[in-house]
Amino acid sequence: MPGRTRPIDKFAAAVGKCSAESAVYGKCILADYNNVHKDKCAAEFMKLKDCYLKAYKSR
Amino acid sequence: MNTLSIRAFIPPLTRRAVPLRATTRSYAVQTAGGPTAEIFSQQHKWMQKERAARDVETSRSVDYLRDEVASRLCERILDINRHFPHVLDLGANACNIAHQLTLPSEQAPDAGPRGSRIGKLTAADSSAALLHRDADLPFNKEINIERQVLPASEALPYDANTFDAVLSSLSMHWINDLPGVLAQVNNMLKPDSPFIGVMMGGDSLFELRTSLQLAELDRRGGVSTHTSPLADVRDVGGLLQKAGFNLLTVDVDDIVVDFPDVFALMKDLQAMGESNAVISREKGAIQRDVLLAAEGIYRALHGNEDGSLPATFRLIYMIGWKQSSNQAKPLERGTGMFSIKDYLEKNGCDK
Repeated sequence: MPGRTRPIDKFAAAVGKCSAESAVYGKCILADYNNVHKDKCAAEFMKLKDCYLKAYKSR
Repeated sequence: MNTLSIRAFIPPLTRRAVPLRATTRSYAVQTAGGPTAEIFSQQHKWMQKERAARDVETSRSVDYLRDEVASRLCERILDINRHFPHVLDLGANACNIAHQLTLPSEQAPDAGPRGSRIGKLTAADSSAALLHRDADLPFNKEINIERQVLPASEALPYDANTFDAVLSSLSMHWINDLPGVLAQVNNMLKPDSPFIGVMMGGDSLFELRTSLQLAELDRRGGVSTHTSPLADVRDVGGLLQKAGFNLLTVDVDDIVVDFPDVFALMKDLQAMGESNAVISREKGAIQRDVLLAAEGIYRALHGNEDGSLPATFRLIYMIGWKQSSNQAKPLERGTGMFSIKDYLEKNGCDK
């Protein structure tokens, strides 16, 4: 759709600014990915989400 | 040991005892065309394809996968040295096979278009918008093509012994009743005619599948269906055989596409009309938390060194021939005239 940014593009752009936090979170899951349970990496995820929310609002 | 069988002394039943009410039970057999488990929502799939095809530019930009697969399928048609007066393209999507047939072969670029041995091509698909998307492009003049919109059900409106070949590219992975459709295909082929198909299968998109599962486990504590269940290579041979095909060939091809991020992959799948259409899927979009987590996991678990994300598409090619009395048959057991062991030893192929 021309002239309109799709929400997914906005989302992707914001996530793209948080690659460092994203990598930390990914490594945390990857460390023991056969035994994943709910909120296994909650702390890392909250850092990632804070970064993403900041990036999303600053546009 | 020479034991005497007691069976010889039991007198044979002269008359079967007939019960007052028939209470016998025989094998339960599912009749063809009967109700089968519905996994994919055909209506939802139709809607996704219609929506995707309406944005013509985006839809054309994601044809890379279908064009490549259709091209490889066309090379397989060339292997059969025969003229096909009437061919059906079942589940044609945007007529990608027709387009590829008008191009010259990669192996013999001077031999003219690949479709020179095909008389008439009938392209059938349930989505009218996708089927007619490229109807006014120049390649349509180079091939005798007829577009036909199928009803959304899986009952095919063709008579028996109609086609000299049936092709199918990247649409059979959305069929609920695969044995039933293959049996119908077998029925509408002329005797000794090939069915050449390719479908998504096996471990396709396993990277996306695993990262979404891990993300949902961590964020929500459970998993739901985001990618389709797919047929495996071993299943396909059995399916073809069950449908009555002969002289089967099944082979597998992996295509790995690198994407900048997981959202580009999802957007492309959506533009192809290949989004999730499993009936038991969770309605509505994936939660943003899960998406955010899945991106990180995808990159950590599967990402390439240059920062791109690979997505594997596993394609299962299948060729089956309708049975005919003048087809070559395997020789009867024990009629071999010489031993392969002798032959191999004579030619210096010892271990």
